[in-house]
Amino acid sequence: MKFLLLQVSLLLFLLKTTNGEVLFSSLPRSLVVVASAMEGQVLKAGEDGITVSVGLNQTVTNQTNESFKKVKVKLCYAPVSQVDRKWRKTHDNLKTDRTCQYTIYDRPYDGKVEGFKWDIEKDVPTATYFVRSYVYNDANEEIAYGQTTNDKKSDNLFVIQGISGRHMSIDIASVCFSVFALLSLVGFFVIEKRQSKVKS
Amino acid sequence: MSEIEGSPGTSMHGVTGREPVLAFSVASPMVHMDHTAKFDLPVDSEHKATVFKLFSLANPHMRTFHLSWLSFFTTFISTFAAAPLVPIIRDNLDLTKSDIGNAGVASVSGSIFSRLVMGAVCDLLGPRYGCAFLIMMSAPTVFCMSFVSDASGYIAVRFMIGFSLATFVSCQYWMSTMFNSKIIGLVNGTAAGWGNMGGGATQLLMPVLFEIIKKAGATPFTAWRIAFFIPGWLNVIMGILVLTLGQDLPDGNLGALQKKGDVAKDKFGKVLLNAVTNYRTWIFVLLYGYSMGVELTIDNVIAEYFYDRFDLKLHLAGIVAACFGMANLLARPFGGFTSDFMAKRFGMRGRLWNLWLLQTAGGACCLCLGLVNSLPLAIAFMMLFSIGAQAACGATFGIIPFISRRSLGIISGMTGAGGNFGSGLTQLIFFANASFSTEKGLSYMGIMIMLCTLPVTLVHFPQWGSMFLPASTDIVKGSEESYYVAEWTEEEKQKGMHQASLRFAENSRSERGGKVASAPTPPTNTPNHV
Repeated sequence: MKFLLLQVSLLLFLLKTTNGEVLFSSLPRSLVVVASAMEGQVLKAGEDGITVSVGLNQTVTNQTNESFKKVKVKLCYAPVSQVDRKWRKTHDNLKTDRTCQYTIYDRPYDGKVEGFKWDIEKDVPTATYFVRSYVYNDANEEIAYGQTTNDKKSDNLFVIQGISGRHMSIDIASVCFSVFALLSLVGFFVIEKRQSKVKS
Repeated sequence: MSEIEGSPGTSMHGVTGREPVLAFSVASPMVHMDHTAKFDLPVDSEHKATVFKLFSLANPHMRTFHLSWLSFFTTFISTFAAAPLVPIIRDNLDLTKSDIGNAGVASVSGSIFSRLVMGAVCDLLGPRYGCAFLIMMSAPTVFCMSFVSDASGYIAVRFMIGFSLATFVSCQYWMSTMFNSKIIGLVNGTAAGWGNMGGGATQLLMPVLFEIIKKAGATPFTAWRIAFFIPGWLNVIMGILVLTLGQDLPDGNLGALQKKGDVAKDKFGKVLLNAVTNYRTWIFVLLYGYSMGVELTIDNVIAEYFYDRFDLKLHLAGIVAACFGMANLLARPFGGFTSDFMAKRFGMRGRLWNLWLLQTAGGACCLCLGLVNSLPLAIAFMMLFSIGAQAACGATFGIIPFISRRSLGIISGMTGAGGNFGSGLTQLIFFANASFSTEKGLSYMGIMIMLCTLPVTLVHFPQWGSMFLPASTDIVKGSEESYYVAEWTEEEKQKGMHQASLRFAENSRSERGGKVASAPTPPTNTPNHV
């Protein structure tokens, strides 16, 4: 009976992916992902890091971990950071899905619990996030996932504060150039007015 | 003999963008040449050039042309510099779609006002200082981008930078001090078209600068800020070039020369009233909002569209977006050319049909642009849309000189402002709110373009007809003279203020089309001095 179920689910899975489109709703939650970032914690890009560990979800049956070839861990936007920002929209079709835009870990799957520390890079924007992991098969298609939050993506979310990108040196240069522009304009005006007065 | 010098709106004469496209020089015996003047180009009695030598830098005429269109080009670069970098900026500043849309609206709104004021500034200080002042004062606003840390700062800075688009006015004004009125159409049209190309060039320039700065070691959120220094410096450099190499008039600078002006000036109030009470003015204000206006809107949204919808890399999205703006090189003059071509056979009715066809075709392609899912088709429809919209801009200014002779300057200025207003409006309705996606916004905008172009069917000239109605057969009402002289009151006619209008009316008979096509195209036989 279990074997039959396994075969049927494999078949259904294959049918869904024969046209190359993997739907998120079809993926089993076969992984458990735990991140060091706690609910509501604010982490700073360029300074802080996150420790993540990914393992198999023991409660989910029908594990097909022979086909798990690669594991990726991604940083994903929480719904609150997707509001009025269509470029971060969640689509069921994983090819067009924009929820998870930062890959923080990409290794071949070796069956053990994977743990790593990721330093938050400077190009990560200010937003609310959760961590999700996908495993891929030989054809580089997603076949299972796990995430640090619940299905509604309302639990265990953390905030990353991005860098401002501003630097004192840029600010100073900006002021200097502006002053130069204004002074040269006024300078030209005054000089020409004086010259025309001298002539007349 | 000539028209009232210095009267309101004369500074905008020649802002047709269209006129004898094929007239590279003036061979008319009516133009009094001055053969004693020592200039590189042949000049008329006011020392305005009668020949347009594109690849010359001869002082003062051609040098002015190049300084002028380059200044306008530079302000387009600065105003739309943020657009191709929005995918980076939106992450740095945590912008929402509304913020981005509002910033786009802000970037084109400032110049609605500044374009109207610039004419007066040019009259007071001369076009050289008008241009230089604007460019140099907007340089700090461009440099200000380095300070921006949130949505409100971003919107404010884009608003301030947008004021610099008023260089359109100084550019056209300056040309009309340097070039004879018979070729001013071509000169101004080329300058306007080439200036507009800046909106395309910036889509190419900014992503490339961004990539170079990133490769040099800067993080993305810092690199885009540094990239803005380049447009800022372009502003400063152009300002300095204009101040050092430019001069207001062929014979020197404004302050050093005496102003002529013993002729009674036309009253600004009357000229304005004449402009606003002519219904055709408002139709063209609306129409230009949906040719030039949508061009400016696309300059703001198209790079981000290709980046998001088709997953293009930033610099590739920039290249595609640049093609849209760069089409101005030929598309705008092309619109003028087709306007002239139709006018030869069909007169003004031909011009109106030409405008309607070009603008509606552009709108249809915009509709398709939002509907297609494949990249090659999207690019194809985008290019067809650009040609349609930009040619429509050129065609618009092929008709504007005929709406009114007395108020040409103000009508041209209002039409220009209408373009910016249309841009602000379309960005606000279609691209600033979350209710529909960018592709739907494009499609709806395409439909709106087609709808808002329909009013051109209502433009009727008693002497020439309209799209669907023929000219009036009444001998008095159906004459050009009666149309143009009607702009003056009896009192004014007694003072002889309407003489220039009479001459214009005579020359405009070519707009009847058909056998009268022997007359050379759009005559603005006008100001000797602006």
